Amino acid sequence: MKKIIFLICLLGALRGQAQERGTVLIKGGTVLTVTKGTLENTDVLIKDGKISQIAKGIAAPAGVRVIDATGLFVMPGIIDAHSHIALDAINEGTNAITPEVHVADAINPFEVDIYRALAGGCTISHAMHGSANSIGGQCQTIKHRYGVFDGEQLIMQGAARTIKFALGENPTGHGRRDGVQPQTRMGVEFVIRQAFSEGKEYMEAWDKYNKAKLAKGFRGAPPAYSLRLETLADILKGNIIIHCHSYRADEINMLMNVCRDFGIKRLVFQHTNEGFKVAPELAKFGAMASVFADWWAYKLEVYYSTAYNAAILAKNGVVTSINSDSPDLIRHLYHEAGKTQKYGNLSDDEALAMITINAAKQLGIENRVGSLEVGKDGDVAIFKGHPLSVYGIPHVTLVDGIVRFERDKDPADMRLMVDPKETIDIPTIHKATTHNHENCMQNMEWLLNVKMFGLNR
Amino acid sequence: MRNSGTHPRWCWTLLLLAVSMSVSAQDDLPPVTRTYAITHVNIIQAPGRKIDMGTVVLKDGIITAVGKAVAIPPEAIVIKADSMYVYAGFIDGLSRTGVARPKEEANRERPKDPGNPTPERAGITPHADVRYSLNPADKSIEDLRQAGFAIAHVVPYGGMLPGSGALILLSGKSADQLIIQTKSALYSELTGASGVYPNTVIGVMAKWRDLYRQAAQGKSYESLYASNRTGLERPATDRNLEAFYPVIDQKIPVLFKAEKLLDVQRVLMLKNELKFPLTLAEVKEGWHAIPKIKASGAKVFLSLDLPEEMKKEEKKDDKKKEERPRTAAETEKEQLEKRRAEAITNYTAQAAAFHKAGVPFGFSMLNAKPKDVHANLRRMIAAGLSEDAALAALTTSPAQLLGIADRAGTVDPGKMANLVISDKPFFSEKAKIRYVFVDGTLTKLEIKETKKADPNAKVEIEGTWNTTTQSPQGTSTGKLVFKKEGSGYTGTASSSMSPDSFPLKDITLEGNALSFKYTMSFGSRSIDVEISVTVEGDSFKGNTSVGSFGSFPVEGTKNPK
Repeated sequence: MKKIIFLICLLGALRGQAQERGTVLIKGGTVLTVTKGTLENTDVLIKDGKISQIAKGIAAPAGVRVIDATGLFVMPGIIDAHSHIALDAINEGTNAITPEVHVADAINPFEVDIYRALAGGCTISHAMHGSANSIGGQCQTIKHRYGVFDGEQLIMQGAARTIKFALGENPTGHGRRDGVQPQTRMGVEFVIRQAFSEGKEYMEAWDKYNKAKLAKGFRGAPPAYSLRLETLADILKGNIIIHCHSYRADEINMLMNVCRDFGIKRLVFQHTNEGFKVAPELAKFGAMASVFADWWAYKLEVYYSTAYNAAILAKNGVVTSINSDSPDLIRHLYHEAGKTQKYGNLSDDEALAMITINAAKQLGIENRVGSLEVGKDGDVAIFKGHPLSVYGIPHVTLVDGIVRFERDKDPADMRLMVDPKETIDIPTIHKATTHNHENCMQNMEWLLNVKMFGLNR
Repeated sequence: MRNSGTHPRWCWTLLLLAVSMSVSAQDDLPPVTRTYAITHVNIIQAPGRKIDMGTVVLKDGIITAVGKAVAIPPEAIVIKADSMYVYAGFIDGLSRTGVARPKEEANRERPKDPGNPTPERAGITPHADVRYSLNPADKSIEDLRQAGFAIAHVVPYGGMLPGSGALILLSGKSADQLIIQTKSALYSELTGASGVYPNTVIGVMAKWRDLYRQAAQGKSYESLYASNRTGLERPATDRNLEAFYPVIDQKIPVLFKAEKLLDVQRVLMLKNELKFPLTLAEVKEGWHAIPKIKASGAKVFLSLDLPEEMKKEEKKDDKKKEERPRTAAETEKEQLEKRRAEAITNYTAQAAAFHKAGVPFGFSMLNAKPKDVHANLRRMIAAGLSEDAALAALTTSPAQLLGIADRAGTVDPGKMANLVISDKPFFSEKAKIRYVFVDGTLTKLEIKETKKADPNAKVEIEGTWNTTTQSPQGTSTGKLVFKKEGSGYTGTASSSMSPDSFPLKDITLEGNALSFKYTMSFGSRSIDVEISVTVEGDSFKGNTSVGSFGSFPVEGTKNPK
């Protein structure tokens, strides 16, 4: 009976209201706070979506659900600093510079990948624009509140603004196809510098106009509004964190130089496969790095790689996270983090930081999430077995104190919206789907086709 | 050499069908009188307002009298509509009825710099006005009128900002005669431009904000300049930005196509940011967004298109299944089918949900086929929509939402003479529309005798058939091959318009009624063709419906063996 009632509650929560905040007591677990050590046999009380108490022997407030975590591990919800799930459009790759576009406009809350991420303990992802162009679109940090029907309700309100940049083969491939800039790594640097210069001129023109307007009897035309230049100016003002797709050490250095020239300080490199070569330089700049644990060689510029990358970066003082860039890897980022212990001997906390607090720092949300501390959001993953062990299995995942995944009560059909026109073919459903390696280039299949067509000719 | 990206010429031939209809079908003689009296008719003046066995008098396109004791003018043509039912002519909130399809775009190649296309190539033509692409002889006007509609809100073809819409009457001899109101709304879709900026929904949304804010800036500078021109730089004119001005002034709404729930939410995001008056149209999946729509104050037109109902499996199969335990795959399939059935129910019950929430709405015909209107309304009613609410959504509500309630939407003296008369209460299963008045002009609908379908006739269709299809463009010929296989048939279709042949689907032969479908595909696009004919000996006659291009007469003769 209890089970049935709970199931109803779970479904209620899943189908329920927006921005719901839950109250729940997680009792008797091994609490991996990540920032404040590991606490044995400790309770975590989440009240109205926020962690209100972490202590031994907390009495359950009346009517509050108690999750028995005896023998289980309680960790902060996993944060993926690079993903493309829950998006209907990833690349507006038609122009080298498109900072005005924003993936928040394309959020799709019905993608079952969100639920699958929850099943891997992942509560937040950085939904990114793709890497087809040098300055792509703005990204959106989302909370995996799977069960809401409005994309806006996945948005993590208050998260820092972020934007995607891209260096190397992807943007130059775009340029070569269309016969426009950039076609080389030099060209990439040029288009970024040019965009920043235009943004700077725009910003200065508006400052001048706004100042002049204050004078009595002022008459004059304002500078022409441009959402593109407006966004570039916001980057220059430090209002937006750059997240740059990059592999090679030379281009990583290049972008740091460009940013130095324009006074831009908030910079995170994505992929960063050759980051180990320039780790001290990254640390000196204050740039951060988000990397794969051991994924490389899928194209020429990604051959010079090592599984020690994350550990080398971390030991050099670079805030480093491990990301998925994939709806598959996002389900087991804890395995990916665990690899830094095999390759680099990181401590449990250092390894867990790669998928929690460090990712939070890169997204500008470290005051809200990324560790289990009083006052932070009630985003929690509960594991059977230590999350860094290959035997670790996510058991319950909470977002804002709401249970969004529970392994024991995992319904067979978690789709929120069903296509009335779909044809159902069981063998097809069960056939393993082929895994698309570089998600970054999604929506750009036509580009690949064009290339192939070109080769055939 | 492959040319999968370009469309074969025959496709554009089809596209041109609608453009080149001749006007000769219309009767050129002026009517003897424009006065009509419809007598002994049940008058549903408006939802909930009924007069049993009354008379409606129309004169010169206006309803002049409605009631029981109404004098019939001597010059009136009397329509004895004994025990029939008269309603206000229906109003469609969004379609391209009577709008000529654009000719093949001259420049569909990717331009030199895809990041900076011309506004036209990018689908940004808000200055365009649908009145210049209206064709009064387009068959879509007649089709929609025969479904009971008198007024349609029509919009141009195009991309993200195709242009401004117009309210038109579904009868008239010239484009100007059709028009009730031009520049009724600025029409928009979240449709990207192919291969150029803005290509995706994120590009379109960004471009939308950019254009709107530029327009707001341009407009305010223009008024500054108008107040005192001395010493000020002359504002540049921009036809595309100026098209936004009446929207910024809240004089006309943006009419946004928003079929899916996510479209609705995205459009509402733009509206809430930029604060423009909004009408959502062709909404198919909006039930989860009702509170948000309500809060935004947006007006709503729901699509009259519905997903097909699921075919019930034959009982024989069920019996077979029960004899043995079900496999996991069968159980899974059953559960998936159940969810699909629930989804279809949700779509069908959308109108009832909006009504229950107190959101007034009309219907739009952008995707619905006129021949499905009656059946789809009945499905919505079966799913909980009251008949009064359905009638309101066809008449009074759209009149209100479109700002023409002073002229249309009810059967009251002084209103435009737009009426639809059915032989039984309109929402009853067997009701047939017998007369439609649009602006006082009568269309009499022939009840087609159903002699064609003889379920007992025996015909043999196996073999090769030569077909001819009559379209306004001319005659096209084709070939059909049927082969008997087991108890059914398989077949292929080919035509003079395409080098390929296509497999036939859903071939059914009941008595001498033959119907089948096929999909003509070319590159990534395809057109669904449905044919239903009556076979007599070695020939058949019937109709073919070609995608959204309309339906045309088709004839066939079988080749002697």
